[in-house]
Amino acid sequence: MKKFALVISTILVLSMLLTACQTAPTAPTQAPAEPAKATEPAKPVEPTAAAAGPQTLIVWDQFYRDVESKVMDTLNKEFETAHPGVQIERVVKNLDDLKVTEKLALAEANGPDVAQVNQGRSDMGALVQANLLLPLNDYYTKLGWDKIVTSSIGSRNSFTTDGKTMGSGNIYGVSPTAEVVGVYYNKTLFKKNGWTVPTTFEDFMTLLATIKTAGVTPISFGTLDGWNAIHEFSAIQHLLVTPEYINNLVFGMNNVSFDTPENQQAAQLLLDIAKAGYFTDGYAGIGYDDSNKTFKAGQGAMTITGSWLASELIAGTDQEFGFFLLPGMGGKAGMAIGGVGIPFAIRQGTTKADLAAEYLSWMISPRAAQLWAEISYMPAMEVPADTKIVEGSLFADTLKAWNTVNKASLVGHYIDWATPTFYDTLVAELQKLLGGVTTPVEFTATVQKDYADFLAKQK
Amino acid sequence: MNRLHAYPGESKVHGLVYLLPGLLIYLIFTFWPVLQTVHTSFLNWEGLAPQKNFIGFANYVQVFTDSKFWLALSHNLIFIIFYCLIPIFIGLFLASLLGRYPLKGFTFFRTLLFLPQVLSMVVIGVAWRWIFNPTFGPLNLLLRAIGLSSLARPWLGDFALALPAVGAVGTWVQYGFCMVLFLAGMQRIPTEYYEAAALDGANAWQELRYITIPGLRAEIGVALITTIIAALRVFDLVFVTTRGGPGEATLVTGFLVYRSAFLQNQTGYAAAIATILTLIILAISLLIRKYQAADAWSKE
Repeated sequence: MKKFALVISTILVLSMLLTACQTAPTAPTQAPAEPAKATEPAKPVEPTAAAAGPQTLIVWDQFYRDVESKVMDTLNKEFETAHPGVQIERVVKNLDDLKVTEKLALAEANGPDVAQVNQGRSDMGALVQANLLLPLNDYYTKLGWDKIVTSSIGSRNSFTTDGKTMGSGNIYGVSPTAEVVGVYYNKTLFKKNGWTVPTTFEDFMTLLATIKTAGVTPISFGTLDGWNAIHEFSAIQHLLVTPEYINNLVFGMNNVSFDTPENQQAAQLLLDIAKAGYFTDGYAGIGYDDSNKTFKAGQGAMTITGSWLASELIAGTDQEFGFFLLPGMGGKAGMAIGGVGIPFAIRQGTTKADLAAEYLSWMISPRAAQLWAEISYMPAMEVPADTKIVEGSLFADTLKAWNTVNKASLVGHYIDWATPTFYDTLVAELQKLLGGVTTPVEFTATVQKDYADFLAKQK
Repeated sequence: MNRLHAYPGESKVHGLVYLLPGLLIYLIFTFWPVLQTVHTSFLNWEGLAPQKNFIGFANYVQVFTDSKFWLALSHNLIFIIFYCLIPIFIGLFLASLLGRYPLKGFTFFRTLLFLPQVLSMVVIGVAWRWIFNPTFGPLNLLLRAIGLSSLARPWLGDFALALPAVGAVGTWVQYGFCMVLFLAGMQRIPTEYYEAAALDGANAWQELRYITIPGLRAEIGVALITTIIAALRVFDLVFVTTRGGPGEATLVTGFLVYRSAFLQNQTGYAAAIATILTLIILAISLLIRKYQAADAWSKE
């Protein structure tokens, strides 16, 4: 027994000593240009000629759904054909898994060369701060991306090198797809009941009442997953605020507050809709996917979510669907939540930066736009003229909506980008608002506390 | 003496050699990361950059002054009722009913009851999320079918009922385990005790109190430790069903650790929560072991 205890204690002590060897705190890095690896000496990134010998490009993406995954496979295969000797090693995960694992993988020497990195502070911002992403400014001009991507869109994938200020600084990603949040409606149900697409927000509210009287669920909705409630609230918010305000809020500029009359009014309107029973019965216990499934099956007149759902609503149903932008107050053109999809970024430590940049070009090429359009996904770049888009189809609707807000500079933001904790705070507080636990005034005040804390830390 | 043959009093170092492979794997993959986590809890680290600053107990102070931590811990304690107390109660009750009399097809039932323990918690969470669905979930459909539609509600989205609903899933997972454990333990209790008690005029409740429960002391101890640990470290069930919602109604410390470390990039803070949780679990386990040891030899 004594010997046993002795052996165990020795092992324990040895483990402690090994830990102590790692305890020496490292001084904070000074030059932001230093690569992030702590154990290797600084290695300059050597640009390699794109077609020099057999190479493997490791790409991580989150296009796991069947239809979108096929597009990626096609694009990858065509890239390999156009670049002989290059192999694409593709790793696909859903967004949650990707967010968590890539933060670790991007710091590794054999990590992905290209990865889709979620915009916002907790993902792209954190990675930029840790110096793990390659600034793409040179490639933007060299490879002609500045002709494909407007500066307003490009700013959404930009951060200053300290990772603190979004919307300015270096560009770190290119997005292949675009998104706009609006209202899907069941054309079959609308035709049957003689309902028409509203052109003012007031008409929209009247329509909700009419639909409810007819015994149909006006808006298919469920808050169990939380995040789609942010879109529900923010879609109304976007009709009441200015583009400058949303920019300031999300990019952390000019010290704006979340506790404003407009936000309170938006919260009140959302609460009114919920209290009037315009959402699915028992929405508090229904998840996002389940809510969409019932909408697709024809059990709801409308649903408010993003253009990404379009491809799912096209096949496998006997219902016909359309899409319209949430109309503004008094018919005035309002902003719509939107932006570009999750961008592709390049790992700072990659040895194949040029090849990776060419891959990024491939992802925003006209061919890519064509493939995305064919599965009714909205590309961020212009669709080639010969792409077949059926007039009056669901996809044509979403594309028209995007073009409308994009050309009028009325593309808003996902407000959960504003702080690293905004997503969690908004989800929790919206659930409390809709559950009757808090009032609109308390809602904006609590959310503002999160925002104010964050702004204070940024100084 | 030929040391290769086992005999009483043989040196225990010999046995240690056989333990070494397993011990090594445990040390490298379990013990070492635990030490790393404790180390991280003293740092100001967001999980990405190589720079880590030693900040002493600042993370711990932050944890103890964070109202969300205490709220999450209170939810874990409520889960102890669902994961530990109710299953043990059900297990004892059923074991005392069935343990004395051999049942036909008992092996089959034993396997069936133990099945929730074998299933992945994620699978269980997804299935129960569907069961609790307000529109087409079997629970509400059943309530409406038997005329109790006033009770049908959005279980996982209700601020008051979400925690008990998730807790009920925990009860479902654990009670079979407790029952199988106690039934096995009852085989060890000599039937003469029950016969003697019956001769003395003991009723069922007295039999339970004076023979069954004391006889099952070891098994109850095991059940307590296992289920309390399950209640304190629950994460996957909450993640799959409610993600801590609605609001913070089902927030638990495990989810707080995940959120802080991986979503909010506060790895040092998350490590502090994890370390505190580990210490709480250790303390409770030691207490239960002490309770067990105190009476281990007093009844035999």
